[in-house]
Amino acid sequence: MTAMGRLLADFSHRRRPLRSLGASGQLGYGIPTPALEAGLARAPDMIGIDMGSIDIGPAYLGAGKMAPTRIGAKRDLRKVLRAARRLDIPLVVGSAGSAGARPHLDQTLEIIREIAREDDLAFRLGVVASDLPREEVRQAVAAGRVRPMDTMPPLTNADVDAAAHIVGQLGTEAFRRALELDVDVVVLGRACDTGIFASIPAMLGFPPGIAMHMAKIIECASLCCVPGGRDTILGILDDDGFDLESMAPNRAATPSSVAAHSLYEQADPYEIREPSGRADLRRVKYLALDNRRTRVEGAIFEPAIRQTLKLEGATMIGHRALLIAGAADPRFIAGHKEIFAAVSQVVRGLVCEDADEDYRLSFRLYGVDGVRAWAEPPAQMPREAFVMGECIAPTRERAEEVIRTTKQYLLHHGYDGRLATAGNLAFPFTPPEVVIGEAYRFNVFHLMDVDDMARLFPAELETLGR
Amino acid sequence: MRLESIARVIRSKNAGPCLLTFDVMLPDHAAFAYVTERVASLRRQVAQRYGRSENEIAVLPFEPALAVKITLPRDVVSGDVGDRDVYGAQQHAPLLDIEL
Repeated sequence: MTAMGRLLADFSHRRRPLRSLGASGQLGYGIPTPALEAGLARAPDMIGIDMGSIDIGPAYLGAGKMAPTRIGAKRDLRKVLRAARRLDIPLVVGSAGSAGARPHLDQTLEIIREIAREDDLAFRLGVVASDLPREEVRQAVAAGRVRPMDTMPPLTNADVDAAAHIVGQLGTEAFRRALELDVDVVVLGRACDTGIFASIPAMLGFPPGIAMHMAKIIECASLCCVPGGRDTILGILDDDGFDLESMAPNRAATPSSVAAHSLYEQADPYEIREPSGRADLRRVKYLALDNRRTRVEGAIFEPAIRQTLKLEGATMIGHRALLIAGAADPRFIAGHKEIFAAVSQVVRGLVCEDADEDYRLSFRLYGVDGVRAWAEPPAQMPREAFVMGECIAPTRERAEEVIRTTKQYLLHHGYDGRLATAGNLAFPFTPPEVVIGEAYRFNVFHLMDVDDMARLFPAELETLGR
Repeated sequence: MRLESIARVIRSKNAGPCLLTFDVMLPDHAAFAYVTERVASLRRQVAQRYGRSENEIAVLPFEPALAVKITLPRDVVSGDVGDRDVYGAQQHAPLLDIEL
């Protein structure tokens, strides 16, 4: 019998609260063992963990690379796989490999197969990929079924073609289809973090609004606590609400800390959105059970009239190379804007003799405008500043050519009033030029109407071990 | 009163790649009421400091956490050319000395 089979059979005999463990906020960056083990000792019914986010920027989605190291991802996957198999309970993993596109999903599945082989684990694995065929998106654009999110421009066929990968944020429904394959482990491509923990409650008939609200909180593990952290959290769900308890004794889930979590990375703290609808949090009550446990009630699910999928896509814009240096000359720091402009012009003259100006060169002076493009310069210039030159060019070689030339001419640029005529820059090491690699931007962040999720994103079954 | 002397938390983060969202968490109901009574002034000053028009600034009091949420469009989409803060976690500094 599979872990899901066992859970469903148990609930068919007697209806009881469901105990979910949010193992850690983001797989691949370490799962503290004491809190995980404390959670496993509390007879959980499932373990869930999220691997992804859009916050990490477009590079990982575009390049098909994971944000954590493979070693880190394998270490954490091993920890939760062994825990789930030891207790014979389902393990649910969302947004495989950080960005959740096919290459990320494949890397994650490869790691899981390796662990199964090395640790002699046997289980049934349900998988749903979240990649969208370009033709499907083109047709939806033509039919007026794609709308921009926030400040994005309307989606064009050129964007669809240019995106390295286009994924859709799958919802509870997709996790559920994978779980219904009678499995022990479920892994999804890009997915709403709520689906990880709301899908089993949906199968067991718990109220969807309350389940979604709990899911949104425990997917971040103990981040909803004071002090916030990534230790494992236990969520106990019943038909009227849920209880939260961090598995780290120094972290407390208080009514105000849990309520405050609704603000995190959300424009609207009163709602949680999924493809099939939204949870309205306007009537939610947060009640202290004791000084480190809180009960939450009152979220209401409102089904959407039609299902919408949040699309994400990133396109390559070139290759990036950097110049890294410091400065301590007050005249250089005061005159940096004119100096950067003059050096850019000199570089252009040199590298564009036989080639087009096919690159973008820019500078940031940390201490002055590295973090924000401030409207006003600071009242007082800093004693030292960090200089970062950035070039994005069509090829790696071109980016490196431009940035190395820039280094030479910024070092020796003779500006008005210069006293330090031997060099303008302090290099912490050489070479001070770094080739970062491919650079990407988000060119897809749109909502698409979808009638049939199962057709676009079928669930697949794989049997490992035995 | 300066915002940094009233609030117990002032933080910024992305809300998706196109928006920046700020959470101003207040220590008690009195401070929450003090700020929520001055939302118009807060919106005006935020718009001015971030170079936006007032109708681009959403200000939303969230009583369960004694917080005021402020959301505005990012100048550059997260990670795009010219962005300086991919996560948006260090964009709160202009809020600190707002006078309410």
